[in-house]
Amino acid sequence: MNGIGFALPEIFMLVAALVVLLVDLFLRQHSRILTYMLTQAALLAAALLVYGNFADGPARQVVGDMYMHDYLSSLLKVMALLLTCVIVVYGRKYWSDHQEAPGEFYVLVLFTVLGMMLMVSSTHLIVLYLGLELMSLSLYALVSLLRDDSRATEAAMKYFILGALASGMLLYGISILYGLTGSLELLAIAEILSHEGSAETVPLLLALVFLIAGLGFKLGVVPFHMWVPDVYQGAPTAVTALIASIPKLATLALLVRLLVSGLGNITSDWAQILMVLGMLSIMLGNLVAIAQMNLKRMLAYSAIAHMGFILLGISTQTMDGNSAALFYALVYVVMSVGGFGVLILLGQAGIDAETLYDLKGLNKRSPWFAFMMLLLLFSMAGIPPLAGFHAKLLVINAVLQAGHLVLAVGMVIMSVIGAFYYLRAIKMMYFDEPDDSTPLKWDLEFGLTLSLNGVWVLVIGLMPSFLMTVCVRALDAKHLL
Amino acid sequence: MTLVDFNLPVVVLLPFLGALLATQAARFNRLAAAGTAAVITILALILLLPALPLPFAGQTLIQRWEWVPSLGLEFAFRLDGLGLLFALLILVIGLLVIIYARYYLSPQDSMGRFFAFLLSFMGSMLGIVLSENLIQLVIFWELTSLSSFLLISYWYTRSDARQGARMALTITGMGGLALFGGVLILGHIVGSFNLTEVLAASSLIHASPWYTPMLVLILLGAFTKSAQFPFHFWLPHAMAAPTPVSAYLHSATMVKAGIFLLVRLFPVLSGTPEWHWLVGTAGMLTLLLGAFTALFKHDIKGLLAYSTISHLGLITLLLGIGSPLAVVAALFHIINHATFKASLFMVAGIVDHETGTRDMRRVNGLMKYMPQVGILAIIASAAMAGVPLLNGFLSKEMFFDQTVSVSAISPLAWVIPVLATLAGVFSVAYSARFVHDIFFNGEPINLPKKPHEPPLYMKIPVGLLVLACIAVGVFPVYTIAGVLYVAIAGALQTTPPEYSLALWHGFSAPLLMSFIALVVGLIVYLIRKPLFAWYDRGLSQWDARIVYQALVNGLIHWAQSVTRRLDRGTFRNMLIWFFGVTLLAGVVGFWDEALLGTRELMPVDGITAMAIAGLILSSLLTVLKHRSRLISLVMLGVVGLVVSLGFAKFSAPDLALTQLSVEIVTVVLLMLALYFLPQYTHMLSSHKRHYQDIAWAMGLGFSAALLTLAVLTRDLQSISGYFLAHSKTGGGGTNVVNVILVDFRGFDTLGEIVVLALAGLGIVALLQGIKLYAPKRNAEGVPWSQESHPLILQVQARILFPMMLMVAIFIFLRGHNLPGGGFIAGLIAALAIVLQNLANGIVWTAARIRWDMHSVLAAGIGIATFTGLGAMLMHYPFLTSTFTYLKWPIVGKFEIASAMGFDTGVFLVVVGATVMILVQLGRLNYIETEDTGDLQPAKGSTP
Repeated sequence: MNGIGFALPEIFMLVAALVVLLVDLFLRQHSRILTYMLTQAALLAAALLVYGNFADGPARQVVGDMYMHDYLSSLLKVMALLLTCVIVVYGRKYWSDHQEAPGEFYVLVLFTVLGMMLMVSSTHLIVLYLGLELMSLSLYALVSLLRDDSRATEAAMKYFILGALASGMLLYGISILYGLTGSLELLAIAEILSHEGSAETVPLLLALVFLIAGLGFKLGVVPFHMWVPDVYQGAPTAVTALIASIPKLATLALLVRLLVSGLGNITSDWAQILMVLGMLSIMLGNLVAIAQMNLKRMLAYSAIAHMGFILLGISTQTMDGNSAALFYALVYVVMSVGGFGVLILLGQAGIDAETLYDLKGLNKRSPWFAFMMLLLLFSMAGIPPLAGFHAKLLVINAVLQAGHLVLAVGMVIMSVIGAFYYLRAIKMMYFDEPDDSTPLKWDLEFGLTLSLNGVWVLVIGLMPSFLMTVCVRALDAKHLL
Repeated sequence: MTLVDFNLPVVVLLPFLGALLATQAARFNRLAAAGTAAVITILALILLLPALPLPFAGQTLIQRWEWVPSLGLEFAFRLDGLGLLFALLILVIGLLVIIYARYYLSPQDSMGRFFAFLLSFMGSMLGIVLSENLIQLVIFWELTSLSSFLLISYWYTRSDARQGARMALTITGMGGLALFGGVLILGHIVGSFNLTEVLAASSLIHASPWYTPMLVLILLGAFTKSAQFPFHFWLPHAMAAPTPVSAYLHSATMVKAGIFLLVRLFPVLSGTPEWHWLVGTAGMLTLLLGAFTALFKHDIKGLLAYSTISHLGLITLLLGIGSPLAVVAALFHIINHATFKASLFMVAGIVDHETGTRDMRRVNGLMKYMPQVGILAIIASAAMAGVPLLNGFLSKEMFFDQTVSVSAISPLAWVIPVLATLAGVFSVAYSARFVHDIFFNGEPINLPKKPHEPPLYMKIPVGLLVLACIAVGVFPVYTIAGVLYVAIAGALQTTPPEYSLALWHGFSAPLLMSFIALVVGLIVYLIRKPLFAWYDRGLSQWDARIVYQALVNGLIHWAQSVTRRLDRGTFRNMLIWFFGVTLLAGVVGFWDEALLGTRELMPVDGITAMAIAGLILSSLLTVLKHRSRLISLVMLGVVGLVVSLGFAKFSAPDLALTQLSVEIVTVVLLMLALYFLPQYTHMLSSHKRHYQDIAWAMGLGFSAALLTLAVLTRDLQSISGYFLAHSKTGGGGTNVVNVILVDFRGFDTLGEIVVLALAGLGIVALLQGIKLYAPKRNAEGVPWSQESHPLILQVQARILFPMMLMVAIFIFLRGHNLPGGGFIAGLIAALAIVLQNLANGIVWTAARIRWDMHSVLAAGIGIATFTGLGAMLMHYPFLTSTFTYLKWPIVGKFEIASAMGFDTGVFLVVVGATVMILVQLGRLNYIETEDTGDLQPAKGSTP
């Protein structure tokens, strides 16, 4: 296989999305299940396609040097596709509670993933930007799916305007970079910048700031985080799960490609910016999360804090730090999707569960899912032996190895403070009487998926070696150009 | 592989397995659950046996398996004297507690759950003391916090149990994370997380600049776990747990985990002033506070809890003193305290069980009802008080001895033995109270149950423990000396110092201190009544828990206030932050660089200056007059005009033309839309907010201007050179802009016209069938002019129409070489139609447009696409262009490029889309009303 064939999964995804779009047009409400099945089939098939052509050898550029066929992209794509399957399962339950399953949901989810797949593979700034916009635009639309909900529309509006600004910033940064180097191709840019004095530092720095502002927005780190809580809260929970996972993986890939591969030669500049942003995110995220009684907002702030960890991992400029960040991201997305899965489980016809009080007495209503949520929350808090613990350990260790003692201690202290609000949620689940004792409803598929999701953090926690090896492999010099 | 090769992990994991078994066994009957737990414990003890000779031979047994090698994580277990001592304590006392608990728990309590939790705790605790890898130790450490949380909240329906459990978990769990941080730093200093390497790296650790932060973090972990001041308050609240749990976790084992850690790391952490001060001070304060408070607690378990705190303080103080002999005393006291305190807790449980209350003001004179228990309790409390011939006496003597020897160091250190004696006084007093209040002191008052002797199996564990107290107290050398010796060797990682376990050391200072403590303690107890009154009046409210509550509340309040300030969801704030930070970061980048680059600035002439002034003025007016939409729109038009002048000035006539036509079309279209909207908007924000916004806008604008200036004055490689060089040769045109549009970036343009066509269709779809109210009067109430289409304009427009179309065609044809092209031509043609619309009204104009604009759009896109496909027919890539030259009579040499066809497509799409939008806006079905107020939002209302 050569040339355009490397983009086969993406091409397949595009065709599949269009097919789903067309098929859905002709379906009645009660036969929407077909849309759902087609979506799942498309996701799984795309995952298989990526897996079948998994880039295990040295990285190489394909499709006119616009595309990267490497371990990192294959890994992230498989992960994202499978995770989207999970989200779609949750989404079906969510929409069935709302008595309307808009076919747009499935189509837009497919487009989001397609955008993400383009992003993680691209080494050409235009392709990268196209992927980013495809993903972002689909997400804006997804957030506003509940058109009658004023909060959702407000959130969508904020997300859209700020997102457009961020894209603009990113584009501005890209254009300055292009002006400086005359190339839009990342490796060529890296090559040009590697010659001493090849470009003026000041405009380069300016480009960097704009790039980081744009990426920081997509990642949701302080001070570009303000949309996160509003959007997490306002969006339909199934969409929130998507926002909390797919874009984070994509942006991580973008960060690695842009900063590590492309601008690796001006490391000290961006590393400092990332450090500041990362630490601020951890501090603010954990602190403000305490004051949130709305679980979705709390998870939003916790997401901000988690993203801070990822940034700090990358800011170490070491292989260890990068792979730690990747590990953290992979663990985080699964945890947060699981968390939203439990929220969807708690939702009832037409009413979304979103406050901490909705968790009350979950143990009485369903001990098994209470235990799953316990696993997820403990993992987010970084309590051993769950996956979140290893993630934190890896990042903190990498930060220590890079010699930033103060940062490491700060991270530990903020994790301590952060543990507080996770424990509060657990207390509500186990010790409080349920306000509402309507039996929870779920079908076998949903139950199995959510259980898998919860058990995953335990399994990875007990046997993290495999995932760690994979992360190291994805980012070592041989597999990453 | 023999059993000895992997027995340690099995010992640790066995209880976890047992936990699962116990839940299953509990389905059969109550005894089965307890039996399973007991058997598992005995099995673990037996499994430990094969490894016993090694520590006694002075060796350390290490068994390791790789887990996550890249992180330095492995499953590694270690058995040396220290680990052995603790493992034995955990298993033996655990066994006794299991037997006791079988009879303590009532039939309603779930046996399976209790023993499952207890066994998982046992496994975690064994994990701590047998770990070789420090991270693994931390993991088990957190597991003990968790299982302790579950055990305290065993009776989860009681609010005090839930609260106590939560507090314990918060404090110890967070301490665990701090410890984790400390261990990470420690591992970083040493380069390994294995205890063997860590314990050998004493000098490296002492010399490290990270020693102090590491020490503080590790101590935080140890102090929270071992209930040291100021983290001691969780322990009394944890007494809500079932009493067997208190006996096991909160006296014998879990609270000793912190101490264990201090002893474990003693060889590498101690010996610095920081260690002495931090550990010593915490220990001394805990010792005093615990002993003092214990006396005043009316709850039996409360008294024991504070007494435990005080004894833990004593051990910590010994470790803080830091001499090898102090470590000997500390280890010895750990054993002794575990035995007598566990038995006392069991007594407390029996009393609670048999009488139904634990209030010492009501539980009196039980000697009559349960003499056997009474005797056991008396002996155990005597051990606690440090009465000779009992184990407590021996270690307390050693403790006093150490305080005396440390007092020689500095002139002020005499306080230490004095305070130690004072603590001894209170210790005697509360021990006396425990015995006297419960078993003597008159008759019981109003007990819920009639007391009698408990079941035999509840007394056996107590009896065994008390027996141990006596045996160790009388024959220390034959009972405890062996284990103690290897434990000390393991703790110090070297040969133990000379020490004597003899009962009689002659008349010495420690003996005198013991004597004083005994006598004064009894006196204090005798005068307790006024003391209690004094305490209740003033001190009883002083509880460190208040500090905890205040801290937790403070944290929440702080978080809330930060949240209020930062998380308001106002879009304005988001924008300010977003722009502010980005621009600040950009400006900071210029901090030590010259603002201006090397490029020379161009001279400014008068006209340019005027134009710029006009630009600034009109943009300002756009913003300032934004509430009056019409004026704002006109000003926006002026901005556009000045910008197009700017393009003209900088030799970009093409852009100037485009800008000009786009500007006119947009202003007209907007005007049509504005007609339906209120003329004015209300003021949406306060004056103060306005001024703030002005400040922000100016600041941000200024920094953006600075950045632009800085970038523009630097030499940048431009890509325009390429296009200039290849435009003629590659695209056959000298108008580079047009060649780029139709040739170099033809694919882009194709995409863009599709977007334009879609936008037109979208607007049609949105506006179709909408009914709007059109006002007849303006905001001031003046009616709009009846004559909306003045005659002169009508006539002029009709004359102009063919001329404009001519211009459009001319511009279109010359486009490839001179300023012009399909896009501009399309705009001009559209403008011609717009003008007709303005002059004659929409109905008139629409009636005269014969073509369906949908077809025009489709034709445009179709032509553009087929031009591209044409190239493919000739086996060139899509949109490859070719060109040739024709001589026309008037125009002269004329070039026909295939791009021309493409340009025609662009032209059609631009005209089609514009006219379509125009017609659709004009066709809005509106209902005319007299009253204009309908369209105005009510005064003072905010949207």
